[in-house]
Amino acid sequence: MNGGAAALAVVQVVVMLVVSPLLVGLMRQTRARLEGRVGAGVLQPWRDLRKLAAKETLRASGTGWVSAAGPLVLVASGLLACALVPLVGAVPFVSVPDDLFVVVSVLLVGTVALALVGLDAGTAFGGMGSSRHMTIAALVEPTVLVAVYALSIPVGSSALSRIVLARIDDPASVASPVSLLALVALAIAVVAETGRLPVDNPSTHLELTMIHEAMVIESSGRDLGWLELGSWLRLGALLGLLGSLLVPWGVAQDAGVAAVLVGVVTLVLKLAVLGCVLAAAEVFVAKLRLFRVPELLAGSFVLAFLAVTASYLVVQAG
Amino acid sequence: MTPVLFAELVAFCAGVLLLTGVLIVWRRELRAIVRLLAVQGVALAVLVAVIGIDAHLPELVAVALLVLVLKGFVLPVVLGRVAGPAGPGRVETPMINTTASLILLALLTTLAYLVSQPLKAAGSGPTAAAVPIGLALVLFGFLVLATRRHAISQLVGFLMLDNGIAAVAFLIAGGVPLVVELGASLDLLLVVLVLQVLTGRIRAEFGDLDLDDLSELRD
Amino acid sequence: MTQVEVGLWAQLVLALATVSVAVLARPALRARLAGVGAAALGVAGAVTGVLALTGGQGRLVIPLALPVDPVVLSPTPLGGFFMVVAGAVGAVAAVYAIGYVHGPSASASSWAALATFLLGMQLVPAAADAVSFLLAWELMAAASTVLVLTEHRERLEVRSAALWYAVMTHLSFLLILLGFAVLAAAGHGTSFAAMSHVDPASASTSLAFVLLVLGFATKAGIVPMHVWLPRAHPAAPSHVSAVMSAAMVKMGVYGVLLVVLQLLPAGRPWWGLVLLAFGTVSAVYGILQASVATDLKRLLAYSTTENVGLMFLAIGAGVLLRSYGVVGPAEVAAGTALLLVASHAAFKTTLFLGAGSVLHATGLRDLDRLGGLGKRMPTTAATFGVGALGAAALPITCGFVAEWALLQSLIHGARPEDRLVAVVMPVAVAVVALTAGLALMTFVKAYGIAFLARPRGPEAGTAHEGPATMRVALVVSAVAVVGLGLVPGIMATAVVRAVGLGGIDVFGVAGLGLPGVGAALDPVALTGLALLVAIPVLVVTWRMARRRPSRPVDLAWGGGGVRVSPRMQYTATSYAEPLSRVFDDALRPERDLEITHAGESRYLVERVQFRQQLEDVVEVRAYVPAVRLVDRVGLAARRLQNGSIHRYLAYSFVALIAVLIVVSL
Repeated sequence: MNGGAAALAVVQVVVMLVVSPLLVGLMRQTRARLEGRVGAGVLQPWRDLRKLAAKETLRASGTGWVSAAGPLVLVASGLLACALVPLVGAVPFVSVPDDLFVVVSVLLVGTVALALVGLDAGTAFGGMGSSRHMTIAALVEPTVLVAVYALSIPVGSSALSRIVLARIDDPASVASPVSLLALVALAIAVVAETGRLPVDNPSTHLELTMIHEAMVIESSGRDLGWLELGSWLRLGALLGLLGSLLVPWGVAQDAGVAAVLVGVVTLVLKLAVLGCVLAAAEVFVAKLRLFRVPELLAGSFVLAFLAVTASYLVVQAG
Repeated sequence: MTPVLFAELVAFCAGVLLLTGVLIVWRRELRAIVRLLAVQGVALAVLVAVIGIDAHLPELVAVALLVLVLKGFVLPVVLGRVAGPAGPGRVETPMINTTASLILLALLTTLAYLVSQPLKAAGSGPTAAAVPIGLALVLFGFLVLATRRHAISQLVGFLMLDNGIAAVAFLIAGGVPLVVELGASLDLLLVVLVLQVLTGRIRAEFGDLDLDDLSELRD
Repeated sequence: MTQVEVGLWAQLVLALATVSVAVLARPALRARLAGVGAAALGVAGAVTGVLALTGGQGRLVIPLALPVDPVVLSPTPLGGFFMVVAGAVGAVAAVYAIGYVHGPSASASSWAALATFLLGMQLVPAAADAVSFLLAWELMAAASTVLVLTEHRERLEVRSAALWYAVMTHLSFLLILLGFAVLAAAGHGTSFAAMSHVDPASASTSLAFVLLVLGFATKAGIVPMHVWLPRAHPAAPSHVSAVMSAAMVKMGVYGVLLVVLQLLPAGRPWWGLVLLAFGTVSAVYGILQASVATDLKRLLAYSTTENVGLMFLAIGAGVLLRSYGVVGPAEVAAGTALLLVASHAAFKTTLFLGAGSVLHATGLRDLDRLGGLGKRMPTTAATFGVGALGAAALPITCGFVAEWALLQSLIHGARPEDRLVAVVMPVAVAVVALTAGLALMTFVKAYGIAFLARPRGPEAGTAHEGPATMRVALVVSAVAVVGLGLVPGIMATAVVRAVGLGGIDVFGVAGLGLPGVGAALDPVALTGLALLVAIPVLVVTWRMARRRPSRPVDLAWGGGGVRVSPRMQYTATSYAEPLSRVFDDALRPERDLEITHAGESRYLVERVQFRQQLEDVVEVRAYVPAVRLVDRVGLAARRLQNGSIHRYLAYSFVALIAVLIVVSL
């Protein structure tokens, strides 16, 4: 394992661990202000976590090790994704490729853990959330892989760090139609995967509409704390990836101190901007009916697919 | 105009054409569809203008202006008036579900890409590379014609078809003669105006524009 | 005599010994003796396979008392790979069967058929010419038909399943026979060496290719010839389903690889397209049906169709890319097919054996009535969970590694110069991705509904773990799933030798390198990294748990209500409901909603009855009409037979005259 990559991974994990709850706080605050409320402040997620950690953990009788281990697996998969994705710097490990299939699989381990936690308590709500969650996860996957496939064609590699570095070298490729189509598709996939509007409403507790909240409804105390942190980490990692692809500048190309510092600062800025944009957009959209969600996902898939087709056209033209 | 800029502009316009095509199939609200059609018209006009400027053909720029006025403004406005104000009745209910039509779009694009090789051989450079997109638009237009119920959507599909044919023509041969384009455009305008009158009468008579209901008229 | 020959002899002797033990031993001892014999037979097959893989040569000629060429067994490295797979799966299943068999599956005929089945399956990849191949193939087909029929007295549906299986498997035999006949005529000999000299561009070669692929695809359970799979697997005893699904259908894959790698290596592009089309359709259709299935073994059967589809997809991509001269990714794709074979064998054995344990404990295959088994059957739950992770292609399992390699070969295979490849590859990537997503959903459902939450029926509430041999077999196969995923270098070495191409090698300690496309994956490093981030989380949790241990309550929240009947939990059907709605057009479920209103009221409802039935669309649309047609022809033919001996003699007379006339022409 190469030292530079390991150091960067540690930095990324630590930064994301601190920043992801703040990102969620910022998004909630933005939304509150736009809706004319005062809001709880950017630090509220951290206060929530502290509160949950101190509370007693209740577990329904009949639940097994899945309820205990699931939240930990979710957090670990989120942290591992943060370590692998090029957020602060694009220095890949030699033996662990940061290609998208690996990253997605790591995140899917967390998805599965969450879905099993939802089933374990044996209530109707948990099963409902888990079923919807897995359906959406299954339908998102083609979009994600095809979108990154489109981005990988000009580079000749599916490693995310190579893609990001190539984009730094050739700024024109960021604004090319291929890249824009693929990024729009990827953005829709990220929104669906992290349970934001219009796919899932993160602040609802209405039984007909909730997905994520239905799965964690039986969890309490530190279990709930880990589950929340885990899903925030996923949001942070995926938004960060989107940021690195959209605005690749600032991503460190080596593990030098100065480069890493610049990388951390730009990462925080990118996350803040993306978070605010996403939150502001959420104010204006309503949640889609569950059975309209596949249309959205099919649309994003078509965009990703067109990006692939278009990339061949562009390559031929050039 | 530098070759790189020319290539990027052509690719951009072609991308917008394709994207609006996808969005027209995706959206349900008729007004949104008409607005997207207007964007598509503008993109087509810009594409023609770019080709004209690059090839130093002033009459192509004139055609571009014509396309801009007709497809970017006149036709959408006319269609918008037929569509009427937004409301619950102004939503398309396609005959095959949107998810399936979107997947079909992907396949149609692939098909266009596969079969456009002979057409591409007729031209060269960035314009030839974008020919499949024009062909894809033609196919999209047919798809809309075949699967939509509402008369407005039918018109939109027809116009998208025309946009596709025009795009292919301009991309391959640097365009059709001004006179032909003028004639075709006027025909188009006439068709739409006649249909506007017709749909207005039909709506006054039946209160609806659903083609499924109209098919019962033959009985 | 070389080592390989000793191995081949050992298999024949062990099979004979097992059959005689099964017939002669007392019923009390039969399972143990015959089980050990069958397991030894499997081990012998695996060892012979390893020898053949590592370059061992050997040629066993068995003269027959028939006017045909003698049977020649001489495994190639490729055959050796499949012998290892078949032998290993057979050995594990045989050990499992010792504890599992009961009633009809413990009978002498059942054990004898199992040994014959294993022998036939292990000899198919050893055959060196078409006749031996077909003999071994028929041995495998006939013995497996007997095994499917095992419980025909207890369950009526078994008979129909066995009938379907027998018809389809003999259709497959017939197609392969015809294909080989065409090739043998063109190559002037029945040995594979002679056949490989035919002209690949000729029309007869293409005809042979089509016939052979159709035949092998039928055996492999490829859509639309898959209809026997979801019937035969639930009908057969679980250890037999495990062998059939994990090893026997692979013989179809072996056949295709034999054709495209050894017999007709210079494939045409459209051959690749045919294989790709079969593969993509099977992968998507199989996993869609699996995701909505509620019968656990039916679900696993459809998942087999999906996985074999992925293998066909990989082989097809390999042929297509090779014919376009894209060498690196083509080699990776061909090798990936074998990675998929090995990984599917490992996890599908685990899953079917796990399903067998559930069936053994509860007598149920219906997921909707299971639940809460994790508490009562911890070993089964843990091993089935590992198998499910493998089937869902999650790290760190062999399924993940194989699917990663598949995606790498597809992503790097596309070349914009070749329009066809440029269009086909993204479609293939999308199909693989959709398949992976749906597989995830399917196996979360299978595991979550069966093993988590509360029992949905009384049978699940009184379940218990099976005997030790069953648990040992389960653990061994689960260890294989994780082991092959953690150190895929072993598989990589075997694959390189089997295919005889580059493109895949060992990376780092025992990781998987794909020099053909410039990618590498070391699961050990990935696991290490995961542990590094997980350990702090664990430590923090442990400290929190020590300060405030968790407290079990009857119901933590329960949606604000009280704990009601366990039947109000989500079931497998409800779990798959959103998905079956999304894919309504493809699955075409029959839904029936009956509402009885209370009196005259339009709003008050007395009773709502909802019925949903999911049938195999292919079966309903394609097979039912075909069967009806055959029926009608049969009825017409019946008029020829009225039982009169004179009529039959007259037929013979007419036939004799016809033959005489034909001969004289």
